[in-house]
Amino acid sequence: MTKWITIAKHEFAYNVLRKEFLFVTFGLPLFMLLIIGLPVLLTASSIGNQDITIGYVDKTGNFEGNFTNYPGEDLAKKDLIDGKITHFFVIPADYGTTGKIEIFSAKKLSMSTRAIEGEIKGFLLDNLLKGDNKEKVERVKNPIKSEYFTLNENGESGKDDLSGLLISIAFAFFFMLSIFTSSNFLLQGVVEEKENRVMEILLSSVSHRELLTGKVFGLGAVGLTQVFIWQSLGIAILSSGPVALLLKSISISIPLLIFASGYFILGYLVFACIMAGIGAVATTSREGQQIAGIFTMIGAMPLIISQLILSKPDSIISMIFSYFPLTSPITMIMRISTGNVKYYEVVMSLIILTVSILVIIELSVKIFRASLLMYGKKPTISELIKYVR
Amino acid sequence: MEKTVEVSHVSKSFNSQSVVKDISFDIAQGEIFGLIGPNGAGKTTIIRMLLDIIRPDSGEIKILSSGQPEETKDMIGYLPEERGLYRRLTVIDSLVYLGALKNKQSKTKALELLERMEMLQHKDKKLSELSKGMQQKIQLIAAICHDPQLIILDEPFSGLDPVNMKLVKEMILELGKEGKTILISTHMMDQVERMCGRIFMMHRGGGVLYGSVTEIKSRFGKNTVFLEFEGELKNIPGVKKSNISGNYAELILEDRADTQEVLKAIARDARISRFEVSSPSLNEIFIKVVEE
Repeated sequence: MTKWITIAKHEFAYNVLRKEFLFVTFGLPLFMLLIIGLPVLLTASSIGNQDITIGYVDKTGNFEGNFTNYPGEDLAKKDLIDGKITHFFVIPADYGTTGKIEIFSAKKLSMSTRAIEGEIKGFLLDNLLKGDNKEKVERVKNPIKSEYFTLNENGESGKDDLSGLLISIAFAFFFMLSIFTSSNFLLQGVVEEKENRVMEILLSSVSHRELLTGKVFGLGAVGLTQVFIWQSLGIAILSSGPVALLLKSISISIPLLIFASGYFILGYLVFACIMAGIGAVATTSREGQQIAGIFTMIGAMPLIISQLILSKPDSIISMIFSYFPLTSPITMIMRISTGNVKYYEVVMSLIILTVSILVIIELSVKIFRASLLMYGKKPTISELIKYVR
Repeated sequence: MEKTVEVSHVSKSFNSQSVVKDISFDIAQGEIFGLIGPNGAGKTTIIRMLLDIIRPDSGEIKILSSGQPEETKDMIGYLPEERGLYRRLTVIDSLVYLGALKNKQSKTKALELLERMEMLQHKDKKLSELSKGMQQKIQLIAAICHDPQLIILDEPFSGLDPVNMKLVKEMILELGKEGKTILISTHMMDQVERMCGRIFMMHRGGGVLYGSVTEIKSRFGKNTVFLEFEGELKNIPGVKKSNISGNYAELILEDRADTQEVLKAIARDARISRFEVSSPSLNEIFIKVVEE
């Protein structure tokens, strides 16, 4: 019964060394990095190199501070053009009633607008609140530092933070990514062997079930490897930049992580088995991908209605999504991470997932056996139903 | 004698089209058996059922006295009609992998067979770099590398040049001497005439002839003349049918024709270099059976 392991190992080694695999795995992140990273890098460096010096023209006569004060706009304009200052703003006489501020700069609106506005706001507040104590000024500048608490059924409160939501979003992202890439490998793997007739040789040595299981695990591992490499690259890039601060503030609860891994693997296997079944039916990998697309779309559905799932976990739709094997991994992780889930629901959905994997493998094997060697001919739906019986 | 293959009343249809109809035959241990018939007769379907790649709609198949395919797959070697190997894998890696799937991975045996097939210098080449005939030889090695009890060869001679054809034939005969049971399926009936002890002949999914080659031939009597000649063959009395190809001819005689009269008649217009009275070839027997 260890033949499927031999197949899985072979599939893994054979596909990981493919040029296409290496190219996509390492080329794609590099390409993305170039597309996303370059503009950011360029603007960042342009801001960094340029010091901001701000001047102002005060027509009310009430404002003072560490910006250069100009008696009139003409002088300020001259200095701006000469490059002595980068920005200046005008406080009109009726500022007290309108709050209108005109900001001039030598360059068109750039990414530094917010920073400039922040500086000016601070300057104005300091002046407007002149006479109040420092603490009050600070509070006006930054009136709310939020922390959320939710009461559960027992009336206990738990501190909320964003990490739960972030984890479920990250989970959904990597889950979909893995399914997309692996479904590709599985479809190609099965269709290719069908086309080059290796299938027949393999089936003279192993059973259909062993072949299918070996492929699901071997090619599935290829897809996971790719996602793992991307993930590692992503984390490496993120933790080196300013995002690292954000990541540090996330506390990841261990039980959630365990559930996430469990749902990931089970959900992944459900999709992998379906993809192998599709590969057996499809005559070309393009055709297979079209059929596979329907299933991956269903898998992404919980993301689309996430609002409903989170706000009304007891609604019929939320229930269906929680238990239906294609949608349950993402739905359940969303619900677990936000806390509105009951233990029996988790147990139920895990059982349903496990059972459906076994059922889907069985169905795929039957379809596989019936349609595998009918080269160049796709079975009709009614024929498929007949095979499954 | 113990039976390696027992096929009883097997039928199979695809999309309500009957491909194999109520077929029964046995293959004894150590026998070289021919499964012959024209293209589309259902030979490959039977082989796939023997290998449990597809299952019969009705009937029973026993291999090595077992009805459980999982038990016997390791003891069968298979050369498929449509050749299939990983194109990007090297020769030796392919053989080792396919051997591992039979639970019998033997690199030494693989190398030995490569040498025997004059392919040793190509062992590290990728399959896609080899010619069709070479790939064919690799495929044959893959079929016998794990020392199987039963060897199933589907069209083993197609695509081979005469030198390699001889090599493969010798190999098959040698395996037969070692006591392996061999099933050769081919539409080139004359190729197996001298190799197989017994044959099963198929036509449109049904069996038409079954038994030992000598017995079948004698059943059809010595009514054929194999002829090599120079000159012209004009309507010769006593000849029912003649297949002429160049300087060679196969003449089927009428039931009570006198071979001496036929020889005289031919000698009138042609120089004869060979004149042999014999049983009809399997090809001819097949045509006769089908026409009836």
